[in-house]
Amino acid sequence: MEALRCEGLSKSFDATQALANVSLEFPTSGITAIIGPNGAGKTTLINVLTGFLRPEAGRCFLGRREVTRLAPHRIAQLGLARTFQDLRLIQLVTALDNVLVARPNQRGERLLGALFRLGVAAEEARNLQAATDLLRFVGLEEKALELAGELSYGEQKLLTLACCLATEASILLLDEPVSGVHPEMASRILGLLPRLRDEGKVVIFIEHDISAVRQIADLVIVMDEGKVIAQGLPREVLERPEIMEAYLA
Amino acid sequence: MEYLGHVLVLVAIYTLLAASLDLLAGQTGILSIAHAAFYGLGAYASALLAVRLGAPFIVGLLAGMVVAVLVSFVVSLPSLRLHGDYFVVATFGFQMIVYSVFNNWMGLTNGPLGIPGIPQPVIFGWRVTSQLDFLTLAAVLAGLAYFVVWRITTSPFGRVLHAIREDEVFAQALGKNTLRFKVTAFAVSGALAASAGSLYAHYITYIDPTSFTVMESILVISMVIIGGAGSPWGPLVGAVVLVTLPEALRFVGFPSSVAANLRQIVYGALLVIMMMFRPRGLVGRYGFGR
Amino acid sequence: MQFVINGIVAGALYSLVALGFSLIFSTARFFHFAHGALYCVAAYLAYFYASVLGWPLWVAIPCAVGGCAFLGGLVELAVYRPLRHRRASSDILLVASLGLFIALQNLISLAFGDATKLLRSGPIKEGVLFLGARITPIQIGTVIAAAICITVLDSVLRFSGAGKKIRAVADDSELGQILGVDTDRVVLGVFTSGSLLAGVAAILAGFDSDITPLMGFSALFMSVVAAIVGGVGSIGGAALGGLLVGLTQQFVAATLSTRWQEVCVFVLLIVFLIVRPEGILGKPLGKAKI
Repeated sequence: MEALRCEGLSKSFDATQALANVSLEFPTSGITAIIGPNGAGKTTLINVLTGFLRPEAGRCFLGRREVTRLAPHRIAQLGLARTFQDLRLIQLVTALDNVLVARPNQRGERLLGALFRLGVAAEEARNLQAATDLLRFVGLEEKALELAGELSYGEQKLLTLACCLATEASILLLDEPVSGVHPEMASRILGLLPRLRDEGKVVIFIEHDISAVRQIADLVIVMDEGKVIAQGLPREVLERPEIMEAYLA
Repeated sequence: MEYLGHVLVLVAIYTLLAASLDLLAGQTGILSIAHAAFYGLGAYASALLAVRLGAPFIVGLLAGMVVAVLVSFVVSLPSLRLHGDYFVVATFGFQMIVYSVFNNWMGLTNGPLGIPGIPQPVIFGWRVTSQLDFLTLAAVLAGLAYFVVWRITTSPFGRVLHAIREDEVFAQALGKNTLRFKVTAFAVSGALAASAGSLYAHYITYIDPTSFTVMESILVISMVIIGGAGSPWGPLVGAVVLVTLPEALRFVGFPSSVAANLRQIVYGALLVIMMMFRPRGLVGRYGFGR
Repeated sequence: MQFVINGIVAGALYSLVALGFSLIFSTARFFHFAHGALYCVAAYLAYFYASVLGWPLWVAIPCAVGGCAFLGGLVELAVYRPLRHRRASSDILLVASLGLFIALQNLISLAFGDATKLLRSGPIKEGVLFLGARITPIQIGTVIAAAICITVLDSVLRFSGAGKKIRAVADDSELGQILGVDTDRVVLGVFTSGSLLAGVAAILAGFDSDITPLMGFSALFMSVVAAIVGGVGSIGGAALGGLLVGLTQQFVAATLSTRWQEVCVFVLLIVFLIVRPEGILGKPLGKAKI
């Protein structure tokens, strides 16, 4: 049983076919990299899988459960978390608050819970602990009380990863987690992914840096023009000349 | 002294209105110009129950709030999924309809003639008759509403509202059912506005549709925006400024008919000036409509 | 049959107002609520020139329409353009337009009082018989004026250089700037001509029925629904939407009663917002870029 699966996904915008009959299976453990030139449909694929876009054809499955037409928040609740290519965060609150929002099933998020606060204080304390631990995991614990908007770009990327983890999702879809980030920070971020895999998370990420993919990915999927043109082990897929050509073209 | 007391009661009523709208517009970032409709629903529900059925104040107050909540779902459930601009249009339409119902359903609301003779409240034996009594009642209700809004704002629920305000897509990706939060905020905001309406009805003892027009909605929005979104003091500051400023006009000597129009012109101009030079408002923390 | 004729006449009026509103939305990208106030201004200017100053109609009317167009352009120059240059969100622009609306509206009330005014000189003419229904010369004029304006505007947009520029800005302002289109000038032109159309509609309405300070709100509401239902940004949409709203309004007034007409138009709006928010002829709404 795969963790995440889609069959026959198609999606077009105006005249462009962003996804053409894409069928994929993501295994229940491991790090999968999705690579491909700009416009290959990688982000569209993530948007469809996470419910932000409706496909014109095809279906998506989370484990055994079909999730094709579910609302994005529902899919997130079922264990599929994602980051965005354009960094999305709540800029005006602290890093800690960003992670706290991400915590699931909060009693304090119900109206009566907010008004009467029964058991909310204890839950907040637990969430605070979890959030602090996550910030420590990504190396941001010293910036916990800084406003998210005042962190560096790379730190903000780390923060979005922490938010993803805070949702307790078992599958993480990361859209270009290190783009625009300088190399030191990039390796710091990418270095976290194997640790997440070892903790049992399914990590899927979009990436342009081939050497990074070669280093940490267990599986590579290559997309171009809305289609999957290759998938397999990095050392096999990345050696094939026609792949590199299509990629670098 | 009497006059000062009157102004203070108005400040309390408008603080209540502004605080309830701040929950929706300031904290959640949802602009609505239907607030006067909820204000009016509370006023009319209270007035009708008191005048036609002799119901006590508390019953009228609660009934008004229930009506507001139920009616709010009619607007919010279909429209809150839409882009903000379209939602404002939906609230505009809703406001127009509610006013139309107040003005035209002669059988129920007496239409333009209004409902006179609303009795003064009696709350568990306490007769609210004097200016001071009303001021106390108004202050208590306004304080309660303020407390409710503050409670919500500082809770995890409030955290999600702020997230929705900043980036609703991000909130959804974190598993938050943003529609539920928005619908709830809209309902709570409407219910609190309705309570202001009940207070108003029993204070002035006469209501007619002209107090609950779209102009009034825009006035309350002005208070929230001019006071400043995102700050606990914003609604209070906004209410104080916008209630007392025009009273000052009266002191300068304008006749009351002129003063009414002048007051609105001042509101309008202030709103435009604020938008151009200080969208954050006087004491706000978040720039409105960032 | 009478209601069909009445519906077409009303629809013609709403189309004219909706045209301006819709074009402004597609180029300036916000709901310019103050459009309703400009509508009102035109009618009152005509009254002022014709009835107060005693100018002949063929002078008063163009001056009034011109005045309204001028004011529309002024509003864009003084308020919206600076905000746009500061990258203000559509919420801020909307609130600024609300402020302008109430300020202008009350200036009118201040200057002219709240009593109903008349533009026509004598009693309402009975009107000629047409297909079993009565239609007055003014009403015929309204339909013809609307038809002309719609056709002219459509041709201008489709075939002229100015039209191309307007379409470029409406589709994607950034692309327009890359292609060398002066967005500011286009938007100014759109505001001026949109207000002109609203002015024409207001004066025609003023001849057909009465002039009151509240005429702006009602016309605005109907026209906004018309613009949305027909499809914002589409000329044909404004026309179609206007017709649909006019027919709905008159049908309800004839079969149920006039007090339900706003409710039914609102229901029409809500149905469209749920089922087809882009309207009959509009392009699908751009969703937030993800």
